[in-house]
Amino acid sequence: MALSDIIKNMSFDEIIKLCCDQEQEAVNLYTELRNRATDDAAKLKFQELVDMETQHLVNLQTFEIEKYMDLPPANLKVTDYLTEPSKDRNLTTQEALILAAKREDKTAKLYQDLAHFFKDNVELNTFFQMMADEELRHKHDLETEYEDEFLQEG
Amino acid sequence: MTKRTKPTSHNVVPMKARFAIPRQDMPEQNPTKRAGNFLEVNLGLTADQAVIEAQRCIECGNPTCMEGCPVSIKIPDFIQLICNRDFAKAAAKIKEDNSLPAVCGRVCPQETQCEEVCVVGKRFEPVAIGRLERFVADYERLHPEEMSTESVVAESTGKNVAIVGSGPAGLATAADLIKAGHAVTVFEALHEFGGVLVYGIPEFRLPKEILRKEVAALESLGVKFIKNFIVGRTQTVHELLNEEGFDAMFLGLGAGLPRFMNIPGENLNGVYSANEFLTRSNLMRGYEFPDYDTPLYRAEHAITVGGGNTAMDAVRTSKRLGANHATIVYRRSEEEMPARNEEIHHAKDEGVHVMTLINPIEFIGDENGFVKSARCLKMALGEPDDSGRRRPIPIEGSEFEIPADMVVIAVGNGSNPLISQTTPEISTNKWGNVVTDEIGRTSMKGVFAGGDIVTGGATVILAMGAGRAAAEGINEYLKTGEWV
Ligand SMILES: Cc1cc2nc3c(=O)[nH]c(=O)nc-3n(C[C@H](O)[C@H](O)[C@H](O)COP(=O)(O)OP(=O)(O)OC[C@H]3O[C@@H](n4cnc5c(N)ncnc54)[C@H](O)[C@@H]3O)c2cc1C
Ligand code: SF4
Repeated sequence: MALSDIIKNMSFDEIIKLCCDQEQEAVNLYTELRNRATDDAAKLKFQELVDMETQHLVNLQTFEIEKYMDLPPANLKVTDYLTEPSKDRNLTTQEALILAAKREDKTAKLYQDLAHFFKDNVELNTFFQMMADEELRHKHDLETEYEDEFLQEG
Repeated sequence: MTKRTKPTSHNVVPMKARFAIPRQDMPEQNPTKRAGNFLEVNLGLTADQAVIEAQRCIECGNPTCMEGCPVSIKIPDFIQLICNRDFAKAAAKIKEDNSLPAVCGRVCPQETQCEEVCVVGKRFEPVAIGRLERFVADYERLHPEEMSTESVVAESTGKNVAIVGSGPAGLATAADLIKAGHAVTVFEALHEFGGVLVYGIPEFRLPKEILRKEVAALESLGVKFIKNFIVGRTQTVHELLNEEGFDAMFLGLGAGLPRFMNIPGENLNGVYSANEFLTRSNLMRGYEFPDYDTPLYRAEHAITVGGGNTAMDAVRTSKRLGANHATIVYRRSEEEMPARNEEIHHAKDEGVHVMTLINPIEFIGDENGFVKSARCLKMALGEPDDSGRRRPIPIEGSEFEIPADMVVIAVGNGSNPLISQTTPEISTNKWGNVVTDEIGRTSMKGVFAGGDIVTGGATVILAMGAGRAAAEGINEYLKTGEWV
């Protein structure tokens, strides 16, 4: 069954729980990659990603619309054309950022699709749009960091 | 802070007339000729030109130029000595604050440092401080008989300091520590000393002879130089401190790990990191092939990705190696290029083509696995963000291909993780840079660090400034043994 069909029959609390699961998945992934990293610098970056997703999870669990009001900044698309690193190897900080930005992008697209699917349901449409915006904000922050550090061109 | 006394004036030109003196152009090799050789491009001011340029200084009460210099060279003082044609003393004056003036006079980005804030520059062209610095440093090198032979080395303290890395940070630290009376040993992984100054910056911008003389001068003061020694592999930090009797250590490891773009096709033959390309050419003397046996690919269409000094050095090297089309591909606009203005102009004069707001997204290879073209996207500058910067954003559907039988990636460098891996007590940040306090102390007792390994890729003078600050810290530590 398509995700949208499942969601159609869910209560709002259940939908939030579903999104929380999505965030928890990200927390688990970054925790695993942090534990596996042999590079101290990449370990620190993965820890930051764990913290970022954990914060998002907490925000969702205590959902308040105000926390999601700001429109996302421009999509810089810095990582859109980059090769996605394989999660099976030891990653560097640079690869950690690419992986995370691409993941935020994919999740944003998923939420945008859901917002579109529920275009006639104001509450769900707004909720998924806000979720997509939040993912795009994260992507923007990660790409700004990527650009400032890995595209210094000095 | 002690009040600075104004230097004695030797400027015979009346104040108002000074503004009418034009900034003295530095003679340089003809662009067409130099694009085919590796000899130095700039030829330096003549003595008469240097005096005329020095006379443009209006001897400000508050010399802002000194604030613009990261190591606060006493610029007005050395300028007055030039007015008096006292070139040897001018060189000695600079050396009080900067041990490598012949290097800094050539490679410092003066337009964003001392010259940017020179008071004359508010209405006219600023005093050419960098050219004057270069002139007196070259004078010193060519006239050793005029320099003071007074010993500058203090009595021996009986302490031993190891310096890891012989780039500007390591050399500046070594110079200060040997003068303070410590025994100093510099360990260098490569087979020549000087760091980026020898393996990165090409001969046509910084003749290697200058570095060799600087190293020889330090050797004559007693600094011991050991090459082909990789700390972390040949011997560890622990072994040097605990078994070899070093009382303190300075890590000036630089940021020598090339960064790649992570786009498809980067592993094709003919795609180099700027580090590899420049090292092959400069350090391994690939540009003198076949006299030296380092092969370097001679391309027809050489593109270099990036807009910094490294990119300019790489593209100009590719031109000199024979590329008919040597092109810079840069994702931002020319205004944002971090390279020194002079290098951008020189590159263009030599026939380098500069493509801005373009970013490669894939390198395409031929049937033998050699790169043959680059697929690129056009970029547009977005709205200014919170920091006021306009970041480039790809224009969807604007893809196009350019021929490229050689590609040099010059998007930046990171730090080599060897030391942090073998000495986990030395903390690094998420970029792999060693973390220090303001006097260069790392998280491991007795170990200091400075330069690019701490800041990430920066400039020669900042690396030297960090080396000098750490030398002060080391002196203090060796005196008191305190580490709090
Ligand atoms: C191509 C290029 C052009 C540049 N142009 C300019 C310019 O025009 N103006 C400017 O101001 N700056 C320029 N820069 C930047 C400048 O060169 C650096 O900021 C500066 O050299 C940093 O000095 P450093 O001493 O920290 O490191 P480096 O110069 O990188 O020296 C570090 C040294 O440590 C050695 N080393 C590393 N690890 C070990 C180890 N484990 N054991 C022993 N030795 C080790 C390395 O081999 C190297 O010799 C340029 C950089 C590049 C790459
Ligand atoms: S700011 Fe310019 S004019 Fe003033 S002292 Fe410095 S070099 Fe001379």
